[in-house]
Amino acid sequence: MNAGVLAKAAPLILRHPHRQFAQTGALIAFWWAAQMVTTALHLPIPGSLLGLMLLWLLLDRGVLPIGWFEQGADGLLNHLMLFFVPAMLALVDHPELLSLLGVKLVITVLLCTVIVMSGTACVVELGFRLSHGRNG
Amino acid sequence: MDATVKALFWCVCTLVVYLAARRLHRRFGRWWSSPMLVTWVVCGGLILLMHNSYRDYLSGTHWLVWLLGPATVAFAVPIHRHRDMVRRHWLLLGAGVVVGSALAIGSSWVFASWFELSPELRASLVPRSITTPLAMDASQRLGGVPELTAVFTALTGLFGAAIGETLLWLLPVRSRIARGALFGMGAHGAGVAKAGELGQEEGVIASLIMIFAGQFTLLLVALVTLF
Repeated sequence: MNAGVLAKAAPLILRHPHRQFAQTGALIAFWWAAQMVTTALHLPIPGSLLGLMLLWLLLDRGVLPIGWFEQGADGLLNHLMLFFVPAMLALVDHPELLSLLGVKLVITVLLCTVIVMSGTACVVELGFRLSHGRNG
Repeated sequence: MDATVKALFWCVCTLVVYLAARRLHRRFGRWWSSPMLVTWVVCGGLILLMHNSYRDYLSGTHWLVWLLGPATVAFAVPIHRHRDMVRRHWLLLGAGVVVGSALAIGSSWVFASWFELSPELRASLVPRSITTPLAMDASQRLGGVPELTAVFTALTGLFGAAIGETLLWLLPVRSRIARGALFGMGAHGAGVAKAGELGQEEGVIASLIMIFAGQFTLLLVALVTLF
């Protein structure tokens, strides 16, 4: 391979993941600290939610720059499904769901999803038309 | 097989299947090529074929599930990035989140009671419209099985993303914000991806609704468990 190509590619390959790892580490530290706080104060919310709301507040108030977390956050959220697929595989331990019970569960999920989607969209559309009409 | 070798095998297997599934999805881009679905089916099939237990599988992959915590914290970044949108549409976003969450919780509860499902299964169904990491937390706090909630949530996302466009065609919904709200509230992550295909604003609205609905549901759960 041509040395010039390598020199151009090196910063992309090396620097980018490097920063992403550090930022992922920062998010893990933030989550861990929030986890400690929720346990110590016996808060009724999970540490992850406290961490999310605290980080949102600190970013919004300008206490922490978004640049410290942006790449790590995009990386984690980009691979979110990889993190919950192992949990979904617990289904192999629930053969009892391969029955009428499973059919009932699937029907519940499907019908409720239609209800939630239709209801939410209609309410927001109604609100949009009302506020739109009022403004002009 | 030695326990360590088994753990290592399942860890590498999951990562390899996931990366391959992402490439597959980039090529086909259909609901059935979703990396989540492909990784789930392939790894599940392998576990059953090799007569391994879920415990064996999880020994190598529990660190991935553990990363759901930091990933939840990471949701602060998209909210901050789109703060202008939040400021402009906070009332509509709030209305969508409150009504959508009430419908999600209420409808799951009614159907679960109607089908006479166990309280455990009912608690696992109730949070299924919000993003998976928060849904699993909510399920655990309500006395459900977080792993089953992950399955119901995934089914919700796949189905919601698949039928969303049909619903948009049937419903008198024209505004971008309502179209985004439909996908973000009804089909969380999968819906956000689908909404992003309709337009940038729809995608942003969908992701904001999804994150706020997750927060709202968990705060409701905290209130319920306090009293």
